[in-house]
Amino acid sequence: MNSTIAFDPILVVKDLHIRFDIDYYRQSNSLRDVFVKVIKSPIETLFKKKECLHIINNASLQMSRGDRLGILGVNGAGKTTLCRCIAGMLMPASGTIEVYGEIRSVFNALVGINPELTGRENANLLAQFFFPNENNKEIESIVKDALEFSELGGFVDTPFMTYSKGMQARLSLSIISAKKCDLLILDEVFDGADEFFQKKISERVLRMIHDSGAVMFVSHSPEQIRLACNRCVVIKNSAIAFDGSVEDGIDFYHKR
Amino acid sequence: MFWRQVKSLTLANMKARYRKTFAGLVWVVMNPIIMYSVQSFVFRKFLKLEIDNYSLFLLGGLLPWIFIVSTLDMCTPVLRNSGELLKAFKVNPLVIVLSQLLDNLFNFLLAFFILLVPFIIFSMKDFVGMLFLPVAFLQMVVGVCGMAWLLALLNVFYRDTKFVVQFFTSVFFFLTPIFYPVEFVPDKYRWAVEINPLYSMIAPFRCCLYNFELHKFLFWLAKGSLFSFIFIYLSYFYWSRKRNEFYHCL
Repeated sequence: MNSTIAFDPILVVKDLHIRFDIDYYRQSNSLRDVFVKVIKSPIETLFKKKECLHIINNASLQMSRGDRLGILGVNGAGKTTLCRCIAGMLMPASGTIEVYGEIRSVFNALVGINPELTGRENANLLAQFFFPNENNKEIESIVKDALEFSELGGFVDTPFMTYSKGMQARLSLSIISAKKCDLLILDEVFDGADEFFQKKISERVLRMIHDSGAVMFVSHSPEQIRLACNRCVVIKNSAIAFDGSVEDGIDFYHKR
Repeated sequence: MFWRQVKSLTLANMKARYRKTFAGLVWVVMNPIIMYSVQSFVFRKFLKLEIDNYSLFLLGGLLPWIFIVSTLDMCTPVLRNSGELLKAFKVNPLVIVLSQLLDNLFNFLLAFFILLVPFIIFSMKDFVGMLFLPVAFLQMVVGVCGMAWLLALLNVFYRDTKFVVQFFTSVFFFLTPIFYPVEFVPDKYRWAVEINPLYSMIAPFRCCLYNFELHKFLFWLAKGSLFSFIFIYLSYFYWSRKRNEFYHCL
């Protein structure tokens, strides 16, 4: 089902171009390598034009409220790079990204801020990083709600580093989905959680989206895209090759 | 918002660091105090350096030196070690560097004031310089922040950075007038001190505690601030140029 993008846009991406300096892909970087390179061919090193790897080329995308956009693509297609750029972590070489509202992004749900601290303390820190505009009282209530939702019980007061992957995912996902936002980016974050919790968290995220905003899901699993999304984008050869319904998108992805 | 995150992360680091130790904070604060006491004793009694009120002179140089070196040592690997976190969601890497710096700053302040109080009570005569101490202190912290931020970024791209930092700080301990006055340096080598950014950051601090003269203080403060500005600018420039590659190399 295509959304009505003409109304209430949340994200407008125009002619986006993201590139990386290719040196960091090809070679190991150490001061020794740089030194050898400068000694071997000083003129070439100084005046050589930098080669670039073009990850995303001329990508344009619009999202409006209610959009649940699934992003499919083979490994290295540029899904995460596109999402990181929209999240404000990477800088585009050209093009524009306009976000109308609050954006929240998660690229790995298995990370604690400080693994030596307890789950509760990490939840508190995560909440401060994810909801920087909330006051202390609000943060406290978010953490309380998330810890209850995570069903970690007595484990919330044990160090985060002792958690299994599933428990880590439960804690982080519970915090992330505790409060509505305008645009939520989830990059393969359900992989660590068990099946029961995946269903539970999907329901919570869907409820959150229903309340407001839009979401971008990156996943290799067409099943997850079917479950959570109402629109699909396929990234191929550094460009958005398909933008349409979920079923058509999955067919396009499988045909490659 | 930025400072709230810095504050939370600083407190979390401190909590995690001392949680399973018997007397964590005490060890960390005692370290500079013991280093200072031993050096002060050795240089006064064994080497018999003829410097008036040498203990106060050393306090103004050695404590900031320990702060700078330990901060650079802690901050250089911090971004590489936090790679998973930085890639997991949007966190300003400067928050992580600053939280390490503030954690160390707290230890430094505690050790410094424990050592300073006896001087204030028993031997310090001129307190005018003390009024300028916060300014000198701020200049030093800003400079260290710029250096730490730059080295932490460089360490993401060049893993040798932390070894280079350790090597240079060991060598510079002897080349920087920390435990000897700048007047001891022969004229033909004085240029090396003039271009030493670490000395330029420490000198205003020492000036406030030991033989305060306003024109000297202002000269060193201007120089220290210039170096601080250069480091902040370089780190910002490097970050904006290498931002995309930074996330790839983590």
